[in-house]
Amino acid sequence: MRPTALIKAYRRRAPGEPRAVGYLYILPALLVYAVFLLYPFGQSVWLSSLHWDGLTVATPAGFDNYRDLFGDPALRAPFAHALLLLVFYSALPVAIGLLLAAAMSRVRIHGMTFFRTVLFLPQVLALIVVAVAWRSILAPDGLLNDTLRAVGLGSLARPWLGDYTWALPAVGVIGTWVGTGLCMVLFLAGVQRIPRELYEAARIDGAGPVREFLAVTLPGLRPHIAVALTLTIVAGLRNFDLIYVTTSGGPGNATSVPAYEVYHRAFETNQVGSAAAVGVALTVLIFALTVTVSRLVEGRRA
Amino acid sequence: MTTRLERGVTYALLTLFAVLSLVPVVGILSTAFGSQGSLDTGFSLPRGGPHWGNFADAWSRGHFGTYLGNSVLVTTAVVAATTVLAVLAAYAFGVMRFPGSTVLFYLFVIGLTLPQEALVVPLYFDLRYAGLTDTYWALILPQTAQSLAFGVFWMRTYFRGSARAVIEAARIDGANSWTTLWRVLVPMGRPAISTMVVITFMWTWNEFLMALVMVSDEAHRTVPLGLAFFQGQHSSDAALLAAASVLIALPVVIVYVALQRRFIEGMLGGAVKE
Amino acid sequence: MGCPRRAFPAVLALGATLLAAGCVPGTDGSGAAGSGTGASTAVPDPKAAGKTTLTVWDQEIRGGTNGEITQLNREFERKYPNVRIKRVARSFTDLKTTLKLAVSGNNPPDVIQANQGYPDMVSFVRAGLLAPLDNYAGIYDWNTRYPNTLLNLNRVSTDGTDFGRGRLYGISQTGEFVGLYYNKDLLRKAGLEPPKSWGEFTAGLARLKERGELPVQFGNLDKYPAIHTFGVLQDQYAAAATRDTVLGRGSGFDTEATKDAAATLTDWMRRGYLPKGANGLGYDDAAKKFASGDGAYLMTGTWLLADLKKTMGDKLGLIPPPPAKPGGAPVTTGGQGLAWSITSRSRHPQVAAAYLDFLTSAHASDVMTRHGVLPAVPGPAAAKVAPDTVDGQMVDGWKRLSAADGLVPYLDYATPTFYDTLSAALQGVVSGKTSPDKLAATLQQDYGAFLDTQRERHTAAESR
Repeated sequence: MRPTALIKAYRRRAPGEPRAVGYLYILPALLVYAVFLLYPFGQSVWLSSLHWDGLTVATPAGFDNYRDLFGDPALRAPFAHALLLLVFYSALPVAIGLLLAAAMSRVRIHGMTFFRTVLFLPQVLALIVVAVAWRSILAPDGLLNDTLRAVGLGSLARPWLGDYTWALPAVGVIGTWVGTGLCMVLFLAGVQRIPRELYEAARIDGAGPVREFLAVTLPGLRPHIAVALTLTIVAGLRNFDLIYVTTSGGPGNATSVPAYEVYHRAFETNQVGSAAAVGVALTVLIFALTVTVSRLVEGRRA
Repeated sequence: MTTRLERGVTYALLTLFAVLSLVPVVGILSTAFGSQGSLDTGFSLPRGGPHWGNFADAWSRGHFGTYLGNSVLVTTAVVAATTVLAVLAAYAFGVMRFPGSTVLFYLFVIGLTLPQEALVVPLYFDLRYAGLTDTYWALILPQTAQSLAFGVFWMRTYFRGSARAVIEAARIDGANSWTTLWRVLVPMGRPAISTMVVITFMWTWNEFLMALVMVSDEAHRTVPLGLAFFQGQHSSDAALLAAASVLIALPVVIVYVALQRRFIEGMLGGAVKE
Repeated sequence: MGCPRRAFPAVLALGATLLAAGCVPGTDGSGAAGSGTGASTAVPDPKAAGKTTLTVWDQEIRGGTNGEITQLNREFERKYPNVRIKRVARSFTDLKTTLKLAVSGNNPPDVIQANQGYPDMVSFVRAGLLAPLDNYAGIYDWNTRYPNTLLNLNRVSTDGTDFGRGRLYGISQTGEFVGLYYNKDLLRKAGLEPPKSWGEFTAGLARLKERGELPVQFGNLDKYPAIHTFGVLQDQYAAAATRDTVLGRGSGFDTEATKDAAATLTDWMRRGYLPKGANGLGYDDAAKKFASGDGAYLMTGTWLLADLKKTMGDKLGLIPPPPAKPGGAPVTTGGQGLAWSITSRSRHPQVAAAYLDFLTSAHASDVMTRHGVLPAVPGPAAAKVAPDTVDGQMVDGWKRLSAADGLVPYLDYATPTFYDTLSAALQGVVSGKTSPDKLAATLQQDYGAFLDTQRERHTAAESR
């Protein structure tokens, strides 16, 4: 136990609260973290300023790769798709979660554990398994179309994943399915922490369900909403596995997203610099969105 | 003053969403017991009793035995390394004061939002240069680094919250910082640590992109990749594909059902810090 | 979340340090491997190689080819007990997405199946990842075993610029053509015969549609199947010109033939000759539906024969796409299966070469025939196949196509990005979103840009 010896030696010299020894505790984690996370990220930034096919000598590209992000429709589209997907991955789950939380703030639920376990289940399944299941549901003869036909809405049935207009929302619905449970459980936990007296006070004031929700539940859940938004936004933008298995970016390029584009460019079509630029831009986007969300919540609170 | 109607609506809503959550899961389960070579392309119900043989077939034809072994090894290593390193670092961040601690801590927090997509490209070339692609290291080291962001963040919250008095008492008893950590704080923090373990376990087990890029050798492949390629090969054999899906989802689901409170706590980690 | 403001400068400083240190191994070009040449002059003897493990990546996952390769691998291991074959088989799409990572990695497989043309084989050769096989072709008489038209599709020029000439970088085991599978029951019920001319075929489609049958089964979720369908249609309008274009010397894609073919595809979709929503149906799922009696025709490659036959038995028939006039020469998309290549960093190139020779020998041809697979060079067993069976139809079709020089290479060979461009654009045509003119323009844009690059490369090579 080398660290123990070191710490003892340190203590002998300076009894009392250990100070510099803190660096020793952090060192191993920081080393792994710096070498395998921070350093590669720096390299990504550097790579994004190069034209490189992954094999021959790289040539400097300046900001070309970033300019392409705005100029090249093949690169603009994935980012547009990602933003639209956030509606499904983030906004919808939060909205549905709030709806249920509002309903449940007024009623004592029996069998809560069961509901929570079931609702949260999609979160723990590997996205690959989720993709396999949904590919089957959304197939032309899949469960969704069969159901539509059975209830007489056969005209709405379509090959969801192969339809230019509907493939992206179809992939989005998978994200909604995955994210809703998370938001719901998060908000339920939050609602239980809101003091009962606040509700009683609101009711004495004659507030209906809607006013009660706006005046008590929503403000009480603000931090939880921020967390839910952050988690779902990050998950929604890191959306590789689902696309890889369900559509591979098709039909055409209707469901290409930045995460898929990084892999495709770096390891299939020899555009490593451009792939790195997409990765860095994705990071900036995630960072900007999460900071905005936390600022919005903090700002209102102040 | 809740009316009966309100009660009914609430339960109806809950049930509706519970059913929606379960449909794909149940669909896969029921298809997994269906007969192979059935001409259905979607979900199906098993006809003529459950076909347990699907699992054996998926196991042997999809090499899932090997894949599961690899996944277990990689996951165990990542979880163990993350736990030890995160506990050490978070302990320092949580109870000690030294110059630069805030900055260093935020450096770890940034990792929570840094997407893998921004790392995977140079990481691949680095590890290939170091001769580490197609080894377990190529999966273990980057994933440990990524899990550390959450681990350090989560465990610091625990150490911050653990009573100052406990630490003082230990010090008066003559314990140094090292023994205080392992004899007092770690045993006390078992719930927090198990939450971290469970979350890291799930993330590592389900990891796809790293496994796709870093390993092209069949012998080091983990289960999610195994399933993706299996789906390419047997996309028309719904029963076999479903059986394979069940096989790879099962370990996480079992742990989840057993320890669901830890899972939910961990996933919602951010909310607790208020 | 949200950093306190005083932490920001520190983080930025740290980031800058990392950035300055940033340097990715390989950006200096050191990653490109030299292209080794097979140096041997004598017939390699795998027995002399000692204990050897040969890693092989292929995409032969379907019933027929999977069975045939499994059997041949077993036989090869029995013949050379010191050699163990480690086979990694995955679907065409998965192989395509992962192959580049594997071959450029530290432990590349010894033998791989590379798709011909610019997207895969040429880019691998440019990167020095494949070993030239001319040497072995001499030793093993591959030059005489195969007709030159087939060998040329596996050639790449020495500098890795041109496809279709130069050194040999692979050898194919199977022959392939995209044909018309038909369901005999459904045709009979509609009062139709297997068509003798293209006109008869299209007239039959209308008849089938009227009777409420699905004329042609088709699934294009995997993106590539439409390349085959479209190729067949385009070949009906201008086979020779299309072939020249794919090989880089033709009139390009902005042609009447391209537009007519796209218009036909659109028309078929509109009339319901192809299933609505084909873009959402998997290729294998479509095959499964055809096998279960949904769809009178299926237009796809000979590689599917064994799987279809397993379900359909005697109900299944197969002909090359019918010629314009009865008795005329048929034309279609096809050629040979993916090439089997040896990677340049393989540690056992000699054993690998012996393996390739074994896979393509006359004996292997017979094994293929027995498994319902079409060998590139049919062996004695193929001659004995009863002509009235579907296997017999396949062999006969192959012979007629070869004799009439009626095989046009796959369109995706044309440029390094053509697989992506073409498959994405065709999904647009299938959905009715992309007009024939737009398709022609999109394809030509990719193709024209590539021709320009090629011209620059040639000029650069000459001036050097």
